[in-house]
Amino acid sequence: MELAVALGLIVFKVAFLIAILLLLPLPLTWLERKVAGHMQQRMGPMRVGWHGLLQPVADGIKLLTKEDHIPAEADRFLFKLAPILALAPPFLVFVAIPFGESISVLGTEITLYVSNMNVALLFVFAVIGIEVYGVIFGGWAANSKYAVLGSLRTCAQMISYEIPMGFAVIGVVMLAQSMSLLDIVRAQADVWNVVYQPVGFFVFFVAGLAEAQRIPFDLAEAEGDLGAGFHTEYSGIRFAFFMVSEYAIVLLVSVLVVILFFGGWNGVLVPLPPLLWFVLKVAFFVYLFIWFRFTFPRYRYDQLMAIGWKVLLPLSMANIIITGVLLGA
Amino acid sequence: MSRAKDRVGTWIGWGFFADLANGLALTFGYMFSRPVTMQYPDQEKWLPYPRYRGHHFLKRDEEGEIKCVACELCARICPCDCIEVIPYEDDKGKRHPAKFEIDTARCLFCGLCEDACPADAIALGQQYEFSSFSSRDLVIGRDDLLAKPGKATTGGGVVAARLNTKKDVLVETKETQGYNWWRNIRRT
Ligand code: SF4
Ligand code: SF4
Repeated sequence: MELAVALGLIVFKVAFLIAILLLLPLPLTWLERKVAGHMQQRMGPMRVGWHGLLQPVADGIKLLTKEDHIPAEADRFLFKLAPILALAPPFLVFVAIPFGESISVLGTEITLYVSNMNVALLFVFAVIGIEVYGVIFGGWAANSKYAVLGSLRTCAQMISYEIPMGFAVIGVVMLAQSMSLLDIVRAQADVWNVVYQPVGFFVFFVAGLAEAQRIPFDLAEAEGDLGAGFHTEYSGIRFAFFMVSEYAIVLLVSVLVVILFFGGWNGVLVPLPPLLWFVLKVAFFVYLFIWFRFTFPRYRYDQLMAIGWKVLLPLSMANIIITGVLLGA
Repeated sequence: MSRAKDRVGTWIGWGFFADLANGLALTFGYMFSRPVTMQYPDQEKWLPYPRYRGHHFLKRDEEGEIKCVACELCARICPCDCIEVIPYEDDKGKRHPAKFEIDTARCLFCGLCEDACPADAIALGQQYEFSSFSSRDLVIGRDDLLAKPGKATTGGGVVAARLNTKKDVLVETKETQGYNWWRNIRRT
C-alpha cells in the first residue's frame, strides 16, 4: 500500500511536470512577442483572443497541421531522431530539480521534487549535454549548408561553454559541501550564494545564455546569416519540438541560476509562500533572457570563442581557487 | 591629464558593463513607451493628407457635367498604359468620354494623369482601401470614378474606425479629424 501510494505520487508528479513543461512555451512565446513588440514600440500579437493571448494556440494548431517535410537528400533516421534528442533531455533534467521543500495536502507531506539525488548537479550537466546531439544531428541530417554551419557552430560553442559553466558551479558546491540541489538551497537560507560568488554567478549566467543559444550567443540559429541555422529544414511538429526544447532550456537555466545563486525558494524581507518566491525569481530571469534578446546584438563567432576560452574559463578557475583559499583560511 | 582620466573612466565603465547596462535601460524605457502602431482595421484608421495619391476620381463642373473632354492626354502619358478613353460628342457639340476605364491593377499611382489633364478633370483622391479578390474588379469605369471620394481636406491623423465584414469588407469611420499620430513617436 505504502509503495503503491509512493509510486502513484511519483507518476502524478512526473505527469504534472511534463504537462507544465509542454504548456509553458505557450505563454512564453506570447510573452516574448509582446515584450519584443513593446520594446520596438509595436504591440505584438493583438488579434487572436484578448491582446493576442490565444495566438500561441493558433500557432500550435498551425504547426500541427503543417506538412511534415523531410528533404530528399536528408538522412531520414537522424532527421527524425534529432528533435526527440533535443526535446527529451531538458525534460529529463527537471526530474532532479527541486521546486520547494514540501507541502501538506490532506495531511500527507508531498515533497516538491521528484527525486532528491545526491549528485543532482552532476546529473543535470550530464543530461543537458545530450541536448547538443539533437542540434548537431538535426543540422547534419538535413544535408543543407545553413543547417550544417549552424550545427558546427553549436558544437564549438557547447564545448567552450560547458567547461566554464561546470567550473562556475564548483564554488557553489564548495560552499554547500554537497552536490544535492536541495542541500545547496538549504545552505543559502541566510545569505544567497550570489553574495559569496558574484563571479561564479556571472560566468554561469553568461555560459547559460550560450547554453540556451539565446542572443547574444545564438550563433547556431543566427537568423541574419544562416536562415534559421540548424532547424532550417524542419517544419511542422518537428520544428515545434525544437521550439519547445529551446524554451525548456531557457526555463532550466533560469531555474538553475535561481537555485544555485539566488537562494531557491528562500525569500527576503517580504514573507511570501516559498513556491511563489521561487516562481517570481525564475520569472525574472526568464524576462531577463527575453530582455537581452531584444537589446543586444549577436557576437561574432571568433568573439564568442574568445570570450569562452580567454575570459570565462580563467575567471571560473580563479573563482574556484579564491573560494578554496577563503574557505580554507 | 583629463584624457588619461577619461580612459580610466572608460575602462571602469567596461569593467561594470556600463554600455550593456545603458542598452538594457534604453530598451526597458521603450517597453513602457506608447506603441506607435495603429490598430488598423479593428479600431483605428489613418486619414491621408490632401497630397495623398489614392484612388482616382473624375470631377464634374458647376453644371454637373463631367469635366473630362476626352482628349486622351492622360492615356498617353500613363506609363502603365492603364487608361482607356473613347470619346463621343454630345448634342451641344462638346466632347466627353463615352468610356473611361482605369485598370487600377496596373496603375502605379504616379499621378502623371492628374498632371497631364488640361481640363483638371482627373485627380488621385484619398481612398486607399480597394483591394479585391479578382483583378477584373479593379478595372474601374467612368460612372464609378465619378462617385469616388475626392481629395482629403484634413488628414494626417488617426481616427476611430471599425471593421465591418457584414456586407463587404469595409473599414467604417465617422470622424474626419483624428489625433496626431506623430505625438506618440519617442525620439531619444
Ligand atoms: S496614376 Fe500614373 S499609372 Fe495610374 S493611371 Fe495615372 S498616369 Fe497611369
Ligand atoms: S481626364 Fe483629362 S487628360 Fe484624361 S481624357 Fe479627360 S480631359 Fe483628357
